[in-house]
Amino acid sequence: MTWTDFPIFVFLCCGLWLAGILLLFPKKKIAEKLSHLLIIAGAVLLAVFIAGLWISLERPVFRTLGETRLWYAMFLSLIGLVIYYKWRYKWLLAYCILMSVVFLIITFFHPDTFDKTLMPALQSPWFIPHVIVYMISYAFLAASSLTGIKGLYLSYKMKPIVETLRLADNIVYIGFAFLTIGMLLGALWAKVAWGHYWTWDPKETWALLTWLVYLLYIHFRINKSSNIKLALWILALSFFVMLICWFGINYLPSAQDSVHVYSS
Amino acid sequence: MCQQKDVRKFGVFPWKYGESFLVSFILVFIGFLIEFATGGKGISMPGWPANLLILLLFIAYVIIFHFLVKHPVKRWLSSVHAAISAISVFSFLVLLMGFIPQGRTSGTSFLSGLGLTHIVLSWPYLLSSLYLLFVLSFTVIRRLLPFSVKNVAFTLNHLGLWIVVVAGSLGASDSMQLNMMLSKDKITIPAYNDRGQAFDLGFGIKLLNFSIDEYPPTLGLIDTQSGELVFHKANLPEAIKGNKAKMGNWTVEVKEYIENAQKDDSARFMPSATPGAPSAYISAKNLQSNKIVGGWVTSGSPFVYRKDLVLSDGQAIAMTMRKPKKYISEIRAYYDMNKYEDFTVEVNKPVKFKGWTIYQSGYDEQMGKWSTTSIIQLVRDPWLPAVYTGIFMILAGALFMFWTGRAKNQQ
Repeated sequence: MTWTDFPIFVFLCCGLWLAGILLLFPKKKIAEKLSHLLIIAGAVLLAVFIAGLWISLERPVFRTLGETRLWYAMFLSLIGLVIYYKWRYKWLLAYCILMSVVFLIITFFHPDTFDKTLMPALQSPWFIPHVIVYMISYAFLAASSLTGIKGLYLSYKMKPIVETLRLADNIVYIGFAFLTIGMLLGALWAKVAWGHYWTWDPKETWALLTWLVYLLYIHFRINKSSNIKLALWILALSFFVMLICWFGINYLPSAQDSVHVYSS
Repeated sequence: MCQQKDVRKFGVFPWKYGESFLVSFILVFIGFLIEFATGGKGISMPGWPANLLILLLFIAYVIIFHFLVKHPVKRWLSSVHAAISAISVFSFLVLLMGFIPQGRTSGTSFLSGLGLTHIVLSWPYLLSSLYLLFVLSFTVIRRLLPFSVKNVAFTLNHLGLWIVVVAGSLGASDSMQLNMMLSKDKITIPAYNDRGQAFDLGFGIKLLNFSIDEYPPTLGLIDTQSGELVFHKANLPEAIKGNKAKMGNWTVEVKEYIENAQKDDSARFMPSATPGAPSAYISAKNLQSNKIVGGWVTSGSPFVYRKDLVLSDGQAIAMTMRKPKKYISEIRAYYDMNKYEDFTVEVNKPVKFKGWTIYQSGYDEQMGKWSTTSIIQLVRDPWLPAVYTGIFMILAGALFMFWTGRAKNQQ
């Protein structure tokens, strides 16, 4: 399986997922079951494509941004489903699926990969856990930001938001735990590959900043007298810091020497 | 969400956000003043044993202050208000670091005068980190003593972070990263830091052999005007004999592939025992006109000029440079003239010798696989075990956080 097979997979995945979203909203048990089945089928199909690509490239499929977006789309759809089972928020599941669709379509137009090679620094047992943990974390944090935006909407409408806040906090805690693990795995790997666990490479700087803004949110929420709207704003905006860290960094003049900019 | 109105006067304990942020702003402002007054020279951290002494004094100070001082400032230093102000201001400095290129501008620009081109070695960063560290220290000690099992996750996260920050920053001046440039069959003794200072480490290293595994070269359709790839929606075909691919309006077949070739007198490429370049004989057929073009292409090397196969429509088939898959140095490290140990060093597979960790770092990229030079990096970081202890504590804390979620982590 190669990128030439990608369009058919994009078409099928998006079809399954969008049908899944539509079936989510009728108030019938059978429709809901079917909707979940379609969403899982979409994720499995994408997983099959990733596995096929992995085999045909003879290397892990994480090197380029286009490749990480595939994983992100897959995890986000599954995480949406997991959160749905625990919290029963249809809007959040629909959002996660839509984000997955968007990311697949972006990757369809910009696969930005035509390279089978993997530079020696990336050939390491640390590579797979580091990137997978990060992609899971990013998926959770994206979900938390949308919850934050929903909370903002509710609070400006003067509606109760206790439940939404509890959801947001829980997603942030899980996403932050993954973010921390991903960053530290990166540090341990950096020691093996480059001789130092932290070199203030621009990607590391932005990863630390992402970690710090979520850390700020967590502490802000611990203080019960904190302004809730401000907390929600922090949550919504933290997402942008995360996006800069993930791919915005490739466009920053301060990051042109970064060892993490692989796409050039 | 009923919030009690704060009727407290500013500055009266217990301090809240206002006072906390004022303190952190003043600290960073003072930091910028000192930095500016000292001409943006930044700070230099003390090395062994002064750094250990500083650490012990700091710990003693925190413990004594915690047990003997009853002032409400102690309570404030371990409050979430102080923590948030410290994290915010520290994040602001990291944000500046994210936008301003670090460590590249020399001279006396406005930015470097304020320390903004070397933030991690600047006064505002030092004072901001110290503030963060004080807050973290008092928070940890308040929760740690008396010890309670309930606080395990909290302690792992906060004490772990404390250890990483302290050991990482105080240990930085004791860590050494040196480069050694090895030439084949020669014993090299001096190692150099990034300022070009030479060090004698008391041992020598001989390069026994250096080798590179390379990926096969690939073929690309390029625009002869711009030299850019025209066709890049799929993986580029490898230049392996018999490989066929469709590229744009052309089907391309590799008729012959020679891993190491030299051009003979009649402009044909022949296998060579001396350094050459990978070459392939390509036959390309236009899908519309059925026109067939054939010829040799090579990516070129320091020994052979690059050659493309020019097609009719302003396009050409080019061979990409081979990329290294792995590069390996076989080295012999000498304890003394008679006693030595042999190692194989590879990227991501460092080895240990006499307290140093040896990394494969580089080679003569001009010569590529014919390089007889290998650059290795020698690293020593005596504080590393402490940093790792902290890292593993935070990892364990993160797992706790993942399992218990928000509920159990609340104060």
